[in-house]
Amino acid sequence: MTEKSSIRKLIGSVTGGGLKENLQVRLSVPPQQVQEGSFIVIDSQEWFFYGIATDLQLQAVDPRYALEPSRQRLPENLAGLLDQQTLYTNLVVLPALMLEQEPADPEAQMAWHKAIEAGDKEKPNPLPVKSIPMHHADAFLASAGDVAEIFGKPEEEGNFVIGFTREQDHPVCVNLDKLIQRSSGIFGATGSGKSFLTRMLLAGLIDRNRASVLVYDMHNEYGLDDTASDTGQNVRGLRSGFGAAKVQVVGVGAGAAIRGSVPDFNLVLGYRDLLPEDIELLTLELNLKETTPTVLDALKQSFGSDHWFKAFKEMRRGAVIENEDGKKVPAPDSVAYWANQCGVNQMAAEGLHDKLRRLFNRPYIMENPPADSIQAVMDALKKGKHIVLSFGDFESDLDYLLISNLLTRRIREEWEKITNEFRSGKGQEPRPLVIVVEEAHKLLNRDMASQTTFSTIAREMRKYYVTLLVIDQRPSQIYDEVMSQLGTRVCGWLGDEDDIHAALSGLAGRDALRGMLSRLQPKEEVLLLGWGVPMPILVRSRRYDEQFWKDVKSSRKVGLDQEQVIKELYPD
Amino acid sequence: MEKIIVGRLLRSNTRACVVGCPPAQQFPAFGSLVSIPLSETEVVYGLIGDIHIDDDGLVRQLATAPSVDEAVIQDNRLNRNVPVEMTVLFVGSKTENRISHLLPARPPLSLDCMYLCSTQELCEFTAGSRFGYLRHILDAQDVPAADLLAAHLAQAGAAQRAQGNSAWFGQAAARIITQLRDDYPRLMPILETLADVENA
Repeated sequence: MTEKSSIRKLIGSVTGGGLKENLQVRLSVPPQQVQEGSFIVIDSQEWFFYGIATDLQLQAVDPRYALEPSRQRLPENLAGLLDQQTLYTNLVVLPALMLEQEPADPEAQMAWHKAIEAGDKEKPNPLPVKSIPMHHADAFLASAGDVAEIFGKPEEEGNFVIGFTREQDHPVCVNLDKLIQRSSGIFGATGSGKSFLTRMLLAGLIDRNRASVLVYDMHNEYGLDDTASDTGQNVRGLRSGFGAAKVQVVGVGAGAAIRGSVPDFNLVLGYRDLLPEDIELLTLELNLKETTPTVLDALKQSFGSDHWFKAFKEMRRGAVIENEDGKKVPAPDSVAYWANQCGVNQMAAEGLHDKLRRLFNRPYIMENPPADSIQAVMDALKKGKHIVLSFGDFESDLDYLLISNLLTRRIREEWEKITNEFRSGKGQEPRPLVIVVEEAHKLLNRDMASQTTFSTIAREMRKYYVTLLVIDQRPSQIYDEVMSQLGTRVCGWLGDEDDIHAALSGLAGRDALRGMLSRLQPKEEVLLLGWGVPMPILVRSRRYDEQFWKDVKSSRKVGLDQEQVIKELYPD
Repeated sequence: MEKIIVGRLLRSNTRACVVGCPPAQQFPAFGSLVSIPLSETEVVYGLIGDIHIDDDGLVRQLATAPSVDEAVIQDNRLNRNVPVEMTVLFVGSKTENRISHLLPARPPLSLDCMYLCSTQELCEFTAGSRFGYLRHILDAQDVPAADLLAAHLAQAGAAQRAQGNSAWFGQAAARIITQLRDDYPRLMPILETLADVENA
């Protein structure tokens, strides 16, 4: 037994199973000492196998021993002896990784290390499980060393402690570099702690400064201090935690206030910022007809991309004048007049005008905004600042969809441009960017995903240094193609079977994980899954409190070489 | 201390033997550990698994008589020619002071002497958490295995407890459970019999 295995807690031995039907471990300890989701290590001679407990089953050598309590027939001590040998618990372990062990024999161990140092042998790394342990191999609850071996050491750069193992409180890290290399998702039913978890992960990302972060903060939760709905305690916001030099809160609309506080600057859209395609993305929200693209195209042709919105807004609906014959005809500044002039269906044009009236009246859309605030947001992100875009009083779906789509479209164009410039040797390498999308199903549902910039980012913007962090309580509503692109998934409790199915889509062992997800504690327990973590693991999430911020502030800060960071993040 | 002969062997096979002893003599109790020396260095151990007292013609006649004088009864018991027979189940042997729980290599011969083992010998034979000999009892066909086990465990348990090993009874019971746990109908009556020993 190696030194590491000696500090593990022995819980039983392997009695059966396989790669497809998972491993069976007969417990030598009471079942209550092991819980679903526990990180299990199996020591099988030359290999360690790492897995997760997915089920516990009560078994008996003969069912009759279980049917009748032996204490009814035998004295206490004999009954105890009988139960010990005839009743037992089987632990089902989903094997995930295997790691070559160093030899136990000191001489062989020395030769083994020498071979690695000389480069004759590769240093063993955890591999996806390709074999199974032997019969009667000892099974242990993982030690802190095992957790660190697989999930990384908390003190290592790039690692962020997201929580702790359920039984033994060993810290579990998420590698922030891997987290942002592909789009990620945080899922959980309402009240499961998604917002706290997101705050923590964002704090980790901002603290380690691996990428800029843009948060679409629909409910004004992340930038400034908030009050917890359940405890009533103050919850520190990201700007309060890191200061305005690192995190800027942007309010939607001129003179906007976020819970009575003044944001760092305001986002105001100009008429020129709105393109017909931005309107098409609101088809569901505005209940637009299939004639809308035709009308919008005609508007663009008539007035140009920069002026169509102003021109259409200024048209009058239903305005008529009398002609020389005394007959009422559309006035020259009416929608009908323009439609007739351009050969557009009058009813379709008037219908669109009616529906766009909701936009015409939005106070954050102005003809001549005092500054190009979209450009200001992008400049700040490029410089390495982090932006929390708070929607303030504009919390409706219409505002959220319009602004987030428009801004993301601009970001995509900008990041594609600077990436192409960089690749042709004309500019600096772009700053990696993570866009945080709340209520993601509103933007990434089946009907809209194919049209929005968000699905493009999820699918292919990794090449252009932009990834998404989607937060949602209904993952089943998110388009499958987008879900399949999510690298890391952090799942809190989900009650709906469809949501559970969606959160686990495309993952190995999802049948075993499904039950685990539905039995998570409603709060403070999450399942880490997907490409970004070495293996699925259930963690008791860290608490987002003052202690968390003390830890963030006292964590080791390294002067990062931006070029090096980018090379590490995007080696290809 | 000189050992007292409790009987002489009447017949035997590899698994068991029958020993006869005069009715006048106090014979060992059911479940007692006995030894039959085969040579100066080799001893066979066995458990008394059955004791039977056969009738003869006189007993049959006396049994039908309306009244039998007490002197006649005592005379019949002390001076009868038919011995008390004891079935001894072999459970191990000792060769040059090394105890084995295997069956003896060869059975004892007729008229070999049988001795009752002392507490010391009983402890020595059952010491060291070695319970291999229990299988001979569990496999025995013609003896009441449950009661024989109970009787033996009661005696050996008391002997071991007297020597400070109070865990012995539990260890022996655990071994019996290990051997019979796949056979629920056999194990449960045996454990219930052992429960009687414990409660006694």
